[in-house]
Amino acid sequence: MAVERFLQPHASSWMANDGKNVDIAMSTRVRLARNLNNFKFPYAFTEDEALKVDKEISSVLLDKGNELDYTFSHISIEELAELQKEILVEKHLISPYLINSHHSGSVLLSDNEELSIMVNEEDHLRIQSLQSGFQLQQAYKIANELDSLLEKNLSYAFHEKHGYLTSCPTNVGTGMRASVMLHLPALTMSHQIQRIIPAISRLGMVVRGIYGEGSEALGNVYQISNQLTLGKSEYEILQDLENMTEQIIQQERKAREAIALNSPVVLEDRIYRSLGVLTHSRLLTTEEAATCLSDVRLGIDLKMIQDVDMSILNELMIFMQPAFLQQYADKPLQPKERDFARAKLFRERLNKNGINSEGEDLA
Amino acid sequence: MICDQCGERSASVIVKQQQQGQMVERNLCHICAAENHSINIAFEQDPLAIHQLLSNWFPNAQASINPVRKEIATCPSCGFTFSKFLRIGKFGCASCYDAFSPQLNEIFKRFHNGNIEHTGKIPASYGTTLKIKKEIEELRKQMQISIQGEHFEEAARLRDEVKVLSAKLEGGIQDGS
Repeated sequence: MAVERFLQPHASSWMANDGKNVDIAMSTRVRLARNLNNFKFPYAFTEDEALKVDKEISSVLLDKGNELDYTFSHISIEELAELQKEILVEKHLISPYLINSHHSGSVLLSDNEELSIMVNEEDHLRIQSLQSGFQLQQAYKIANELDSLLEKNLSYAFHEKHGYLTSCPTNVGTGMRASVMLHLPALTMSHQIQRIIPAISRLGMVVRGIYGEGSEALGNVYQISNQLTLGKSEYEILQDLENMTEQIIQQERKAREAIALNSPVVLEDRIYRSLGVLTHSRLLTTEEAATCLSDVRLGIDLKMIQDVDMSILNELMIFMQPAFLQQYADKPLQPKERDFARAKLFRERLNKNGINSEGEDLA
Repeated sequence: MICDQCGERSASVIVKQQQQGQMVERNLCHICAAENHSINIAFEQDPLAIHQLLSNWFPNAQASINPVRKEIATCPSCGFTFSKFLRIGKFGCASCYDAFSPQLNEIFKRFHNGNIEHTGKIPASYGTTLKIKKEIEELRKQMQISIQGEHFEEAARLRDEVKVLSAKLEGGIQDGS
């Protein structure tokens, strides 16, 4: 089955640890929302239309996708087992909305997992382009090329005044949502983040924690994205977001320097404790794992920890989630059992790479 | 009434909880109620969903009634009414944008910091005509600036450019690219 390769616990290329400012900006995503002109949108269409839309879009992509040097796999959502769907969500390759949809939908994934095209999500078409690090222009370039290829073969719903027409009024215009995932431990520790977030929202951008809105960001990971899709061109939106992200990165660097200068021992203690927890605990909740991952990541950035590979931490952020853990254990797990499996996964992945492995009992 | 939890402040919130199969009612002050995490379950998951914002901004869909024909705007293509759009916060199809057009500027303004017009990418198939229209608009703006600055030669040059482009539009686009 086409989906198998995407379910493996191998890191997608966007989880690799390269790209500009990757110590703080972990990954970049650009999403374009599009609809076909001659079909009702997903909130109004029938199952029959849903199937036709899926067929029309998929056939173009499978046929012409190789013009852009990508090979796509077409995966029908309803053919997947629950666990498989959840794994794709945990890998950020599809949205939770798509798996809960009442209509037939699918996803087309490029082999390197940089491109993911969802069919019949909230819109007929959601082109998603993922990159490692801080690469807004590159992520947009890839999404835009695919979009241009598709529009040659499909008739998009487009309006002279309103631009690309979408199901939700918050996406109309460019249909573009660009976002950068940022690791901001020092701004969080020093409580500066609470002052930064409202300022950003006044400029048509929004910051949210990685796992949901409003709540405190798990593992100090925040996502900054554009809010406006009308009145500014894609180029201007990306520019604004890029400038804002660069400023936040600079602020985070300053805050890190200040903390390292003012309380070096406290910081070092916290980082090494967290490394200890990740490499030695027997029960590890999601919250604790995320907090400790954040500390260890900071420790690597500050050169306190030399022997841990950052890309392993990126992978662990994904693979520590419930669906992946159940695949790893090869059975359904209750929450408490997941904490055990999570701790085991961390010990195996981190100790294999040479830290504190002496005396470790991996049984 | 005094708060059941702290026994100090006056109670302002009634919290109903299912405890061991029984419904328990507690009177809490606002502080204890906020600390009581389990009551969060009672709230909608996403307190700021689009449809809620819309229905708060446009509490009764009166704006959707056409004053001339006294009927509620309905999309002829998908059957969505304006009130349904407000209720779920989503359009049913591309034609909804025309059907609800009189009300949309207000809505877009609120979501997009006062902006109502798309200025970004244009699909290639719409490209040529729309591009010329936009160019003409831009040239007209520049022409006004030139006239205000009394640069009449420049204004005349711009006017000629507009003429050429307008002729192109009217004559249809030859190459269709």
